[in-house]
Amino acid sequence: MTFRLGYGTNGFANHRLGDALAVIADLGYTGVALTLDHAHLDPFAADVARQTEKVAARLRELDLAVVVETGARYLLDPRRKHHPTLVGEDREVRVDFLLRAVRIAADLGADCVSFWSGVPPPGVEPDEAWRRLRAGVEAVLDGAAGHGVPFGLEPEPGMVVEHVAQALRLHAELGSPELLGITLDVGHCVAVEPEDAAACIRRVGNLLLNVQLDDMLPGVHEHLEFGEGTLDLPATLGALAEIGYTGLAAVELPRHSHAAPEVARRAIEALKAALPPVDHPWLVKAEQTVRADPASIRTLFPAVGRTVGRTPLHEHTDPLGVVHGTVDDLARTRLLVALAGVSEDLGAELVSLYRFGDDAERRGVLRALAEVGDKAVTQGVELVKDALRTNDTRLVAAALGPFAADHLDQHTWRHGVLKCLFLGIPLAAVAGLDRRADAELLRMVGAYADERRAAGRDVPAEAAELLRSET
Amino acid sequence: MRIFDPHIHMTSRTTDDYEAMSRAGVRALVEPAFWLGQPRTSVASFTDYFDGLIGWERFRAAQFGIRHHCALALNPKEANDPRCTGVLDVLPRYLEKDGVVAVGEVGYDSMTPEEDEAFARQLQLAVEHDLPVLVHTPHRDKAAGTTRTLDVVRESGLPPERVLVDHLNEVTVRAVADSGCWMGFSIYPDTKMDETRMVAVLAEYGTDRVLVNSAADWGRSDPLKTYKTALAMLDAGFGEADVDKVLWRNPVEFYGQSGRLNLDDPSGTSDTSDTFAGNSVLRGARP
Repeated sequence: MTFRLGYGTNGFANHRLGDALAVIADLGYTGVALTLDHAHLDPFAADVARQTEKVAARLRELDLAVVVETGARYLLDPRRKHHPTLVGEDREVRVDFLLRAVRIAADLGADCVSFWSGVPPPGVEPDEAWRRLRAGVEAVLDGAAGHGVPFGLEPEPGMVVEHVAQALRLHAELGSPELLGITLDVGHCVAVEPEDAAACIRRVGNLLLNVQLDDMLPGVHEHLEFGEGTLDLPATLGALAEIGYTGLAAVELPRHSHAAPEVARRAIEALKAALPPVDHPWLVKAEQTVRADPASIRTLFPAVGRTVGRTPLHEHTDPLGVVHGTVDDLARTRLLVALAGVSEDLGAELVSLYRFGDDAERRGVLRALAEVGDKAVTQGVELVKDALRTNDTRLVAAALGPFAADHLDQHTWRHGVLKCLFLGIPLAAVAGLDRRADAELLRMVGAYADERRAAGRDVPAEAAELLRSET
Repeated sequence: MRIFDPHIHMTSRTTDDYEAMSRAGVRALVEPAFWLGQPRTSVASFTDYFDGLIGWERFRAAQFGIRHHCALALNPKEANDPRCTGVLDVLPRYLEKDGVVAVGEVGYDSMTPEEDEAFARQLQLAVEHDLPVLVHTPHRDKAAGTTRTLDVVRESGLPPERVLVDHLNEVTVRAVADSGCWMGFSIYPDTKMDETRMVAVLAEYGTDRVLVNSAADWGRSDPLKTYKTALAMLDAGFGEADVDKVLWRNPVEFYGQSGRLNLDDPSGTSDTSDTFAGNSVLRGARP
């Protein structure tokens, strides 16, 4: 793991803070986004210093990373939600609150303080709201200078800064202050951004200080559990790994407090299922190296197995990785995806990685064709044909993936399928079998079955099944 | 008795040899890349050979319960042939392969400028790929060649404990012992060293940093010379712990610096499956 998964305490509003931390840690989260609120480490309490010390000790005990969130609804004004803000009346109250927050953050050892701009007040021109925001942020950064804890500005739908582009603009206008970065809610990306969350993450890049995780539907600002909206969670987490993000990514479901423990359990299960299966620190570093220096793949590619492992992806049903491949196959695909983004001659590089490769490297190239083969079809077909000439079961299986299903000529493809039957390779390894099986293939398989019977030998079950299912 | 042969060219040996070695207690070995007995004509000949050392040969050895590793390099003899030197450009790819535990054999044959160049460049590759080095000392003008070898190693900046200087004898051992490099001895039926002389060297220099190998290849040689040296040590009064140190723990320590030794029993792993890339060492059975 390069980044930590956490949960926001605003989703545990009906729990005591200590209880919430325990439940969150027990579920396997390794961080917490702590929203300062009247019931959770009230920054206006007389004994806030002592309480902060206790919470800091508890976080250390539970080994939880922490960011401080400042989006409490009625902490500053009991009547008006989220008031005052940095763009309306009484802005100094918000500035004072953010400075209290940064002192607490420093005492907690937090990664950052997260904040938003505020809804533009009625009757205030956009230019004026922007000017107020700039002044407010400058005041906060000035006041916080001694604490060394950065602030993450969160684009929030309906506020003065609601898009990533606006947050980046403000950052640039203020002269890229060292203590100002960005908090990104990936659900907001679905709701209001022109591009998806993964693209937003890449755009924010090393300014990313804090991530909030939730699902959403396009155009609707409602925080949903994973799977209820249209967020591509694997791609989003993959993008965090890709940019080398090392901070906290915490689930943000502030309207689910009534069922918090159960919601948090479902969320971590969804996150674990969506995490890149190979997220070995070596691999993440290797991807970055390949992007910076494409030729480096020539010496990184052979080293994959001994660094990330060689376990089959579906160990119980596919113990040798013949059908679904292995962890090192998957890691090699990621390196080749990184390469495809920067290489000037992907086809030639794929061919030489295959030609100079040992058996595992060759399988890695073949399996990666499913992801990158469309950019090097001629060379991909050449390599698939080479693999199909061998008798290496794992190599033949790796060759008949989705790339072969899309690009291999029908004659060669049929002979590949027949070879699987000869070598005892499960036909589950053949992508697009239903789509591409034709009368000629069935004739060939039928003739093979006849030949077996004539010799008094068994007909492989998969051959018989194929003949039954297609006739 | 467990034996690690730190230098043997199994590509040139038969399955009978593997069986005999396995019976004698050989459990692991390192096969350094060398010449073929006749000149290679191209870089492709090297890459076919390297592919065999990291693939088929490892599979063959595992069939007999032996863990096969290799050292890869452009050998000093062929460093003089411009048809072959291009292999230095593809070596970096190969030095990252699984089972490659050293750069070797490098060193001098006739001490030409071309050999100087290949030797220095490959010592640099060892630094870059974090691998130890197996250095061959020349057959002719051996003492001078050994001294020059040690000078080049010193200049390379490689720590001496990552360098094994091989084919030593009574004349050359002192300089290597003093350098801090590891000392390799090849025990041959007629040339180089024999078991009795080896035992005398061990009695004089002790067992630290000493490795004994058969260096068996396509010439007249004996893959059981490691085993026979162990017997000669026991006969001469060395204990079993001394034998284990010279014939197992020392090579494990030296090549272990690569971080890529695999000393698990290969039986029951995919390395002892029936076939390698669909091919078998068996005859008559499929495929």
